[in-house]
Amino acid sequence: MPENAAHGRSGNGRGLLVSILVLIVLAPLGYYVVRGTAVALGGKPSVEFLERPATQDDRCIWNMEAGEMRLHHWEHLARIREDVVRFGKRDVPGLNECRNCHQSRANFCDRCHNQVSLTPDCFGCHYYPDNEHWDPQRFPER
Amino acid sequence: MAGGSGALALRLLTTSSAGAPGKDSPLAGKRMGMVIDVGKCQPDCDKCIKACQQENNVVQAAAHKNHELAVHWIRKVTIRKKIETDEKAKKAEAAQKSVILVCNHCDNPPCAQVCPVRATFKREDGIVLVDHHRCIGCRYCMIACPYNARYFNFEDVEVHEEDLNKDRPKRSHGVAESCTLCAHRLDAVDQDGNPSPRVPACVEACENGALAVGDMNDKTSTVYELLRDYAVKRLKEDLGTEPKVHYIGL
Repeated sequence: MPENAAHGRSGNGRGLLVSILVLIVLAPLGYYVVRGTAVALGGKPSVEFLERPATQDDRCIWNMEAGEMRLHHWEHLARIREDVVRFGKRDVPGLNECRNCHQSRANFCDRCHNQVSLTPDCFGCHYYPDNEHWDPQRFPER
Repeated sequence: MAGGSGALALRLLTTSSAGAPGKDSPLAGKRMGMVIDVGKCQPDCDKCIKACQQENNVVQAAAHKNHELAVHWIRKVTIRKKIETDEKAKKAEAAQKSVILVCNHCDNPPCAQVCPVRATFKREDGIVLVDHHRCIGCRYCMIACPYNARYFNFEDVEVHEEDLNKDRPKRSHGVAESCTLCAHRLDAVDQDGNPSPRVPACVEACENGALAVGDMNDKTSTVYELLRDYAVKRLKEDLGTEPKVHYIGL
């Protein structure tokens, strides 16, 4: 039957459309799963967005991978803040030590914060050099 | 990824338990106090005030448009007896004393009692601090403090980058602040994480040896010896705040 055939075709088309839509919606998730797995298996995360320290060391002073650092640095900073202010434990490097390697706030902090519309209050009191200087050597291509 | 975040969670947990007060706390068993020898304090000297401003990024009073809004961690006042006759006036002139006033770091701090958000608190070693991250700027502590030791940042004052002590935070407007007894110097650790305390900036700057800060429980400390050997007075002792700043010869 022509009518039935037409109906069947339109049903298939709808199914295809729905699958494509689902794929499009889930694609970013898949990206993160693939990237996260790659990082867990020892791959290097994509870090070209942020300024790398001149030492080219993947590990920070907190001895963490760059990806972990990017996802959890504020939790660590808040924990260190409590330790320092409330309990006088100053043996863990804090915000002041970040700037030893990452020397520009514009390149290290603000690039992500601006991207996600975050305005943390840290820099109202804590000094971080705010130079706009862009050194291509500090952004190694990967 | 999952393994990484699991390890991170564990690390966060261990960090948190290590931070809580306990046997491994670096402050356990300490009781920090200050002794001020009024006799040695020179009336025309303000080295301690300058050193404190430099160390802690306390903006100089001159930088404020309205001088009444200025923040003082150390104040210097002159105490003189009530002058009744001209004859006595000369004696009183000679008898007047120059005294510095700081936060008294009370054992029973009224500022911490009234703080609605527990931003002001007494540390385990007795130093009374303001957690500026948590302060909402309600100024209850300023009203509660019987010593007028608390000040409020009514405005942001620009500090030139070359004048800034970059290792210490400055304060943005809207938080209360007072002397911290240079807790960051007392807690200082060396590269291996072993404690290497330094004396506060005012004590370091005082050339007359009028100031001493240390652990009153430590029998080898200068403060302990001074408290043992001299009669000391504290300010407004009748209020029951139990201040830990002691004055010799007041």
